[in-house]
Amino acid sequence: MTTLVVAGPTGIAEHDGGRYHPEQPSRLFAVMDGVRALGLEDEVVYPAISEASVDQLSRVHAPAYLAELEAFCSRGGGDIDPDTYARPDSWTAARRAAGAGLAALAALEERNEGIAFVPVRPPGHHATADRAMGFCLVNNVAVAAASRTALGERVLIVDWDVHHGNGTQAIFWDDPDVLYVSTHQHPLFPGTGRPDEVGGPGAPGLTVNLPLPAGATGDVVRAAIDEVARPTIEEFAPDWVLVSCGFDAHQADPLGELELSSGDFAELARVVSEFAPRPGRLALFLEGGYNPASLESSVEATLGALLGRPAHPPAPTQGGPGLSQLRAHRTDRLRAVDRVHMEVGP
Amino acid sequence: MTAQRCVVVGYDGSADAQSAVAWAARTAAALGARLRVVHAVGLLEHAGMAGHAPVDGGVALKIAAEAGLDPGAVEWHVVDGDPCTAMLRMAEPPERAALLVVGSRGSGGHAGTLLGSTSLELAEHSPVPVTIVPTSYRGG
Repeated sequence: MTTLVVAGPTGIAEHDGGRYHPEQPSRLFAVMDGVRALGLEDEVVYPAISEASVDQLSRVHAPAYLAELEAFCSRGGGDIDPDTYARPDSWTAARRAAGAGLAALAALEERNEGIAFVPVRPPGHHATADRAMGFCLVNNVAVAAASRTALGERVLIVDWDVHHGNGTQAIFWDDPDVLYVSTHQHPLFPGTGRPDEVGGPGAPGLTVNLPLPAGATGDVVRAAIDEVARPTIEEFAPDWVLVSCGFDAHQADPLGELELSSGDFAELARVVSEFAPRPGRLALFLEGGYNPASLESSVEATLGALLGRPAHPPAPTQGGPGLSQLRAHRTDRLRAVDRVHMEVGP
Repeated sequence: MTAQRCVVVGYDGSADAQSAVAWAARTAAALGARLRVVHAVGLLEHAGMAGHAPVDGGVALKIAAEAGLDPGAVEWHVVDGDPCTAMLRMAEPPERAALLVVGSRGSGGHAGTLLGSTSLELAEHSPVPVTIVPTSYRGG
């Protein structure tokens, strides 16, 4: 039987933007209700979590930014931009969130089997090397990925959050050891994630953006990953598969306009799990998801699918727009990759 | 024939942003340039959760006209993203802004710290000149 490692929840008490902010602590209550609904009880492994060190964070963040963030929090915090806030204890929360990801991968490596789920706040995929934005302070999935590339391993990051993970893309833009694949609604915040954004001279083609129109359904998102991205992923041959696992592409989410059901996340999880080279190499990091009911049902459906547990989520969705756009974008992407190769030269 | 130069000003509806629009409009008029007023829509504003009324582009256009710029030389532009990234994008093709203008603080941010200050982050990262219009600027 596959083990479920849950590294979290962290960030419930330390990081609170008030009752009107959608990225709120109660999200994690809903997420953990989804975990409990699987009925695994004592079979779930909860690893000990330490705060990530500044050295571990500095693999992907500028030391000056980390010092500024720590000082900002110690002065009482405040609004960083119209979306993003920090509180006095947010520095601690951000380091614990990143540390949870590291603990998850360590637990998988030790067991050499299982899957890991990292339910943490604040989320991470919008945080760049030197900027907080989009509710994110520290890029949790990037810190985890960098911990493995430092060991010479190759990491696939699949990001199915409704928003493009601009921070993750920017951090690994020129890194040949990380393949970043994102499905996201476009146009939408943060405005990045066009198909012709394909990676830098050191990693041409290792950024795969699959933008989707509002109204896209689960079959389109699955096709994006399973058909469009699959050849690149198989050629890359990752040692680890990390998922920026936002649930705000759900049809009931207030921050996006994609039309996925909880059942679609189960299908996506099955597809992505095929890319893991062996057991114990798949970890899912919570990003967005702001409707408590859909968070709970999506977490249950996703983890249930990966564990082979009986869950009965709503049926996968189909028939929305975006398939023809995906095919057209494939050409844009190939041209952009060629352009980067030509800039690099022979 | 060379393309007409473009001045880009960030606008979030704050008093500082209004001052920045006025300064940018006068500058564009003096340079014979176009003025693009850019409003960045974040996660909360997109979802109608920003806690304030929708930002009214008409106010910015009126300020630009009152500053003496031909209304035909002004455009209102709404983009998805955070304010700093949205402005930086305006310095790249196809927009190729000659000058970026922002208010000193806007509706968020904190004076004297890079974190949370669009104006300071913009000044650090922009490839083109940046003008930061101080809070106290009221024309002239």
